[in-house]
Amino acid sequence: MKNPQRSPTNPGSLRSRFTQVFLQSLLRIRKHNPTSSSSSSHGEFLKRCRRVKVAAYVSMARAVGTRRAWSRATLWRARNGERQRNLLYGRCSKSNSRERSLGKRKRKKKKKKKRDNEEHSFGHAKKLQKLVPGGEAMDFCCLLDETAHYIKCLITQVKVMRSIADFYSL
Amino acid sequence: MDSDDKDKFEPAKQNEDPMNFNSASISSDWQFCSANLSSAPMNLVRPGNSMAVCREDLIGSSSCSSAPMAESFGPALWDHLSTMENLGFVNISAQNNLSTSHLLGIRKVGPESVRGDIGWNPPSSMLKGGLFVPSALGTLPITEGLPHFPTDSGFIERAARFSCFSGGNLGSVMNPFGIAENAGLYQIAGGLVPGPRDVFPASCPKPLPGAQSEKNEMNIEACRDVHLAATQGTPQGSPLKNEGESESLARSRGEAKQGATAGSSNESDEAEFSGGGSGGQDNPSMLEVTGGEGSAKGFDCKKRKRSGEDAELDKAKGAPQLAESPKDDSRTQQKLENNPSSNTSKATAKNNKPGTQGSDPQKEDYIHVRARRGQATNSHSLAERVRREKISERMKFLQDLVPGCSKVTGKAVMLDEIINYVQSLQRQVEFLSMKLATVNPRLDFNIEGLLAKDLLHSRAGPSSTLGLPHDMPMSFPPMHLPPPGLMQGGPTGIGRPVDPLRRPMQNQMIPLAGGFKEPSQLPHPWEDELNNVVQMGFVGGGGGGSGAAPSGQDAEGSVPPPSHTKVEL
Repeated sequence: MKNPQRSPTNPGSLRSRFTQVFLQSLLRIRKHNPTSSSSSSHGEFLKRCRRVKVAAYVSMARAVGTRRAWSRATLWRARNGERQRNLLYGRCSKSNSRERSLGKRKRKKKKKKKRDNEEHSFGHAKKLQKLVPGGEAMDFCCLLDETAHYIKCLITQVKVMRSIADFYSL
Repeated sequence: MDSDDKDKFEPAKQNEDPMNFNSASISSDWQFCSANLSSAPMNLVRPGNSMAVCREDLIGSSSCSSAPMAESFGPALWDHLSTMENLGFVNISAQNNLSTSHLLGIRKVGPESVRGDIGWNPPSSMLKGGLFVPSALGTLPITEGLPHFPTDSGFIERAARFSCFSGGNLGSVMNPFGIAENAGLYQIAGGLVPGPRDVFPASCPKPLPGAQSEKNEMNIEACRDVHLAATQGTPQGSPLKNEGESESLARSRGEAKQGATAGSSNESDEAEFSGGGSGGQDNPSMLEVTGGEGSAKGFDCKKRKRSGEDAELDKAKGAPQLAESPKDDSRTQQKLENNPSSNTSKATAKNNKPGTQGSDPQKEDYIHVRARRGQATNSHSLAERVRREKISERMKFLQDLVPGCSKVTGKAVMLDEIINYVQSLQRQVEFLSMKLATVNPRLDFNIEGLLAKDLLHSRAGPSSTLGLPHDMPMSFPPMHLPPPGLMQGGPTGIGRPVDPLRRPMQNQMIPLAGGFKEPSQLPHPWEDELNNVVQMGFVGGGGGGSGAAPSGQDAEGSVPPPSHTKVEL
């Protein structure tokens, strides 16, 4: 699954990695939700769309690995998203504690960094911070760096997804 | 022959000694040397012989030996050669090229500055000569004996080592000469490495700002130590200097030695570089060659050079300035408050004209690591500058990445563009995921086959997408979404938004369309339109028209504005 060439600047390797991971996740989604288009309700469809979208981002993050802050943030968010949602709704105390223990370090780091680096970021950068996963915990300089890499990966992702969609839409 | 030469040299040298000691003017020294030269046997003039002579009788032949060497280099270099003479010894290990490089290096300094040095050099050199001549006749390496005297790379090394290590040596050797000696040493050190130093400020900030700060600190320590050693004998007790030196002494000793040794080796490299390169004009390029490595060492050289310059300017002030100038750049911890503005202005004057040679003695070749003209040399501002440069670097990279941003200038606008682009990309991902969600259940995935074909498509895909003009990617999202929104309206509606883009797309779509040989076809009512749309590269939308419509409309509503701005651009 992971090519020896990890450099995202080599689009071939990143693209192939992403394609593999993404297709596998698509298959998994299809298996879990074997519904035909005609019978799918609006809600179901939206859920599926969201799953596919999350799968796309997660597969890209996996293809990139943990070298990048945004990929780490994406993976962490995906892993703990459920727990976060539970936390929000106050459903499960267990999940809260789990989330706390697992996400403690990361959240603390993020908050602390956010406080420290707020002065460095401009007003525009805050928008960008929200767009780029994990951007809140970065100073402006790192944010630009991550943004550049994130844009590169997004472009690759869009291309692959489009080609898959085109492939299967014919 | 050699012995004859030596004999001739010795009396010449002896004659010179009083001359040198007495005369503060360089010209008289030079004239004397030239007189000696003229009177010297012809065989000395020949480079080969002169080299041999130099080697054999280093100290004694100081000015005389270097003079023939000078002559061998040509009248053009006479000034510099004379400085060489006074400075010392085209050295044992010195080869012709090295000496040439050294001369070139000296040239950068400017004759006036060197002259200042020369006034001091002879006494010390002569002293050393006197000391060593009896013992060192015929023994080549005077290197040990006269570490601090001129020989291009060897000189620099020794100067560094000497100044850093030889608090005691200085005392033993130099004390008889007092302050002047120490100042002179500094001047020598300063005078000899002007060229490479000149180069440094221009490109020092560039290569490794982070690494540089560490190295600079080390070098500063070294310089401080040097200053300390140099000024030990000096009665000039400028409070600042003393304080700084006492502060840094403990710290700087070990570091200085490390820094000095590192710096000295680098200095030698730099000297060679400077010599190897052209004159002062090529300094920036040379500096870039040395790169970050050289910068650290150059920093060390700079400090000493600066101190030398200061001493030249005003010997009384030289030491305090020595202490002050190197510290300001990257040592905020130092209590010493330098005069950054004065140093900076001087340095910047020199930085801007690395090759200034005709300047008066007041203008010296300060070499600042990073501070540029009119900029503060406070460490905070330096760090700020480094940070700003990093940011601008990344902004440039992003400019290349985001299409249509080449004309945009300014961080705010760039940031807006970047934000828009990221948002549009994320919307595209969302839309494509939607499409895939609808497409997904219909088809059986043949992963291996799909992968192979997908990679093919991916290769074809980028060609189609990249082939588009810049505003195309941005206009894609709106075109993606209206078709789903219009799907309810009917197939005809799709054709219209597609048409304007069809023409530019078709030639690019052909390879893409060619790749679509899959048997599975979507049983869409709008299959024809969808095929058209797909050929156009548009996502035609999935079967979930009702589901897609609201989201499509929403996206449509939000997408046009950014695309609008894009198209306008």
